[in-house]
Amino acid sequence: MNETTLVEAKDVTKVYRTGQVAVHALRGVTLEIHDGDFAAIVGPSGSGKTTLLNLVGALDSVTSGRLTVLGEDMTALGRRGKADLRLRSLGFVFQAYNLIPVLTARENVEFVLELQGVGRERESRAGQVLRELGLEDLTDRRPPEMSGGQQQRVAVARAVASRPRLVLADEPTANLDGENAEVLLRMMRSLNAEQGLTFVLSTHDPRVVAHARRVVTLVDGRVARDELKEPSRVDDE
Amino acid sequence: MIGPVSVKYAVRGMFRHLRRTILSVIGVGIGVAIGQFAASWMGGATEMQIRAASESGAGHLRVVPAAWPETRENSLRLTDWRKALRAVKRLPGVRLAAPRARATGLLAFGNRTAGVEVTGVEPAAERASNRIVARSRLQGRYLSEGDAGVTVVGAALAERLDTDLDDDLMVTLSGKDGIRSAMLRIVGILSTGSRDLDTSLCHVTLPEHGRLTGREGGGEIAVLLEDYRRVERARRTLADQMPPGDLVVTWEVVNPAIAANVKGDTAFTRFIVFIVVVMVVLGIASAQLAVVLERRREFGVLMALGMRGRQVVSLLLIEAVLTGLAGAAVGLMIGGPVTWLLATKGVDFSELMGGEVAIENVLLDPVVYGSFGPWLIWYALGVSLAATLAAAVYPAWFAVRTDPAEALRTV
Repeated sequence: MNETTLVEAKDVTKVYRTGQVAVHALRGVTLEIHDGDFAAIVGPSGSGKTTLLNLVGALDSVTSGRLTVLGEDMTALGRRGKADLRLRSLGFVFQAYNLIPVLTARENVEFVLELQGVGRERESRAGQVLRELGLEDLTDRRPPEMSGGQQQRVAVARAVASRPRLVLADEPTANLDGENAEVLLRMMRSLNAEQGLTFVLSTHDPRVVAHARRVVTLVDGRVARDELKEPSRVDDE
Repeated sequence: MIGPVSVKYAVRGMFRHLRRTILSVIGVGIGVAIGQFAASWMGGATEMQIRAASESGAGHLRVVPAAWPETRENSLRLTDWRKALRAVKRLPGVRLAAPRARATGLLAFGNRTAGVEVTGVEPAAERASNRIVARSRLQGRYLSEGDAGVTVVGAALAERLDTDLDDDLMVTLSGKDGIRSAMLRIVGILSTGSRDLDTSLCHVTLPEHGRLTGREGGGEIAVLLEDYRRVERARRTLADQMPPGDLVVTWEVVNPAIAANVKGDTAFTRFIVFIVVVMVVLGIASAQLAVVLERRREFGVLMALGMRGRQVVSLLLIEAVLTGLAGAAVGLMIGGPVTWLLATKGVDFSELMGGEVAIENVLLDPVVYGSFGPWLIWYALGVSLAATLAAAVYPAWFAVRTDPAEALRTV
């Protein structure tokens, strides 16, 4: 694993057990994610995209194989260590936005900084992140007062506010219309291009694939294809 | 770290289901109010019984001969009762001190007889310290210093002996050197309202008691304090000043029946309060658990973002504290006026009891007043916060066990 490799998965399997039934979600995934990647993980439903993202995001544990995230051996990391890794180094964007409904956009962003132990400057930092992403109009709005697209953009702001090394987005555009999806993807691409943030996105959405520089295709819990491609240019659209 | 955003999150979380929050707060408030009422009643009844016991002759403290607690022998005398009395009167916080001597005897008038406890008293001290004397209806007069050959008896005793004022009774009692007899003229008849007390009441002056029994001096000194709550401290201080051979005991030793009564009442009331608090805790725990289940995805998200278990617990505890504070306020709004009424109007048992009630020679008050004061605020806060925090423990534990991946996947 060289210094630009953020994630290294080797023969990773994941088996879920429901009573007597064993579901093989991943059947030996070998994969590397590098610093600065803007990678889309695609595949049909049940192919293991979300499972892989959960494992990389330290939300779940591998059944076998070796998984290293940001230099941490995930098989050796405890609950607390995983929470710490998520807090300090990972950013999450969820399909259903999952902003805290009783907090404003700024407070949602600030909340993560507060969890990180950032002191008084967290309020200004949250405001700065929202401004940088062009979301200053939403600062004092609560999620129920925002559209889905706006909520997802605030969710991205929340994910990047803590300056993570890796942002994981699970079907980020699944609930968005074409225009909002495009705005969101441009925002992510520009963060990737300008700040060097690494993004890994699981998706069905061809619009996401169009923006990705790397597409990993999962089929039946295995990597079927891993290809680099020329993404559509941010300023093309 | 729990900071201002976490607090905002917890506070606003309470308003998500306002109706449920209000019902929870009212539930806590009613529990607190019941607790306050019970505590007020318990405090008032306890104070009344202690006051009644101490003012019916026992005193808050009693200086007695060392052997008395074990033998209860009334022929025992203090080593130096005058010196002991002076020491008692010098003690800060002492309201009154009354020396006494007792002897078991027989009164006879004509062919009628009655067993009595002949009590030698200092008349002025007795009038001031003993409610059996001070509150009773008196026919004739009470004793005066220097009285000799006279007695004041209870109304029921006078009735049993078929005597009246100025009649001469024969008293027979066990003296220092055997059975002694003497004549006593009745100068006063006391009616306490309690037949039990009136039947055995026979007072003479302390010097007269010495003459009758041949045992000079006092057998006890009853001590009334300004504040009965300082009884143990005062006992220790006074005990250090007593000559060897004398002891200082509390009203509980003198009146074990009343002490047992107080303990029984206290335990029962605490049990009732405990049941109420348990019911409140279960109710709030159920509501809190529903909140946690509803917000399981949210907790999953927060944990995915890196929130630690103790921070999740802190969030729920903040909500519990807020519910507790609101519950305490509601409890005070309901319980405050009710306990104030209990404290000012009291509950009158005189009709129910058909007159005065005495237990173990203690003349109880027919009206029981509740206790009222700033303690109600601390009580409301204590009970309410204890209940809501206890109620939050299981839901918090449940929330901490949330598997973020599972919560995000299934909810």
